[in-house]
Amino acid sequence: MKEELGASRRKLEGELRNLVGNIFVPEVKVFGMACGCVGYAADLRGLQSDDVDVFKAKINAILSELSKSVGVEPEFIYARKLPGSEEVVTLTARELCERCKREFAGSKASPRPDIVVLKKRR
Amino acid sequence: MQLMIPHPGHFPALKEIIEVKEAEGLNEVGEVFMGGSPEVMGSGRGVLHAPLIDEIKAQTEYAHQHGIKMHIVMNSTCTGAHHLTFEGYKMFKWYFNELNKADVDGVIVAEPYLVELLREFPMKTIVSVLSYVESPQRAKFFEELGADVLTVDTNINRHFDVLKAIVKAVNCEVKLIVNEGCLYRCPFRYSHYNLASHLSSLNQPRFPLFAPDFYYDKCINIRLRDPTQITKSGWIRPEDLKEYEAIGINTFKLSGRTKAVNWIIDCMRSYSHRSFKGNLLELLDCPQLLRDMFYMDNDKFDGAIEHWKKCRKVCGECGYCNELTKEALTIIK
Repeated sequence: MKEELGASRRKLEGELRNLVGNIFVPEVKVFGMACGCVGYAADLRGLQSDDVDVFKAKINAILSELSKSVGVEPEFIYARKLPGSEEVVTLTARELCERCKREFAGSKASPRPDIVVLKKRR
Repeated sequence: MQLMIPHPGHFPALKEIIEVKEAEGLNEVGEVFMGGSPEVMGSGRGVLHAPLIDEIKAQTEYAHQHGIKMHIVMNSTCTGAHHLTFEGYKMFKWYFNELNKADVDGVIVAEPYLVELLREFPMKTIVSVLSYVESPQRAKFFEELGADVLTVDTNINRHFDVLKAIVKAVNCEVKLIVNEGCLYRCPFRYSHYNLASHLSSLNQPRFPLFAPDFYYDKCINIRLRDPTQITKSGWIRPEDLKEYEAIGINTFKLSGRTKAVNWIIDCMRSYSHRSFKGNLLELLDCPQLLRDMFYMDNDKFDGAIEHWKKCRKVCGECGYCNELTKEALTIIK
């Protein structure tokens, strides 16, 4: 797992730099939540929501591949913006618990205004 | 009964909330509220969206088409005295004027100066829960400053004698927040909201914080060590709304504008139906985190309101909430 995480951080940073320009990925992590969700998340700097719109398909493909590489099924992929701005600070691929399938990923609208939904498995 | 519903701020969320309200005939839902621009002022909660005036106007128009009133929250508890500068005065006056032109129905404020400033506009002046109205005396003060609606301090949600006295003392509308689970008489309350007010505005601390959510972390820790504190909080069960209507309070506000849309919709349903089955922590805006730690069986709280209505809140001599917590709360394995 240690090797996969380090490699995935480098790969994500490299791919995003190829797409957008100067992107920094200071940290990636695999997490498990009390509700039952598990996920793969990357903190990043330099990415904006316009970039995410333009490269949505490619970012989805990269995130899917990287999350699978650490054992997380990418059922719900989203970007989190710095509230009130267009700066994207986290990309997350999440395998959802039953409650979050309905509560977090179940609305037609994005669950919150700072979340940009990139992929939702229906 | 009328319910005021939190709106996270993005237009699709408003549409979804209204769609459910109409599809399910939730006629009690009459108002929504959302944060304003953090460039003008922060608020008591995190701001996840920064709507410009044009967006507020469009959303207000949509809400009105569906018979819903739109209110904008500007309830920062600390502006760093910006409002008392000429620049601040002009900015707030300009912003209120723009909100008024956008046909907004009401503005929720905590700062007494802004309560008074709003008298110049036809929009409703809604005094925030963060004005800490907890007595008839303070209620009267705010009414005289110009309040049309008083959202009273949740610390007195179970002080029926004080609530009755407030209703009697003022002519304006008295509103209660029903699903805030803040610690009863929380020692961090003022500091926490001052911090949130700064962090949600452009008026940020000059240096990075080593503990950006210090008070929240303390609050969660206290409840983990002493879950009775959850029982003692001022939340109101959907089943108990009628007790408040009986003393003349008919408008209720749900807290939770930083939560997911579907969570807000679930809460809206429960309070509209005046009924909920399951873990009470699912309804509480804060401490939502603990719903994965504790299960508080809502049914076990049937009738507790009768005790709380006459409770003197001298916990050391009573022990009722301790016993109730033992009966109603289990730790989720």
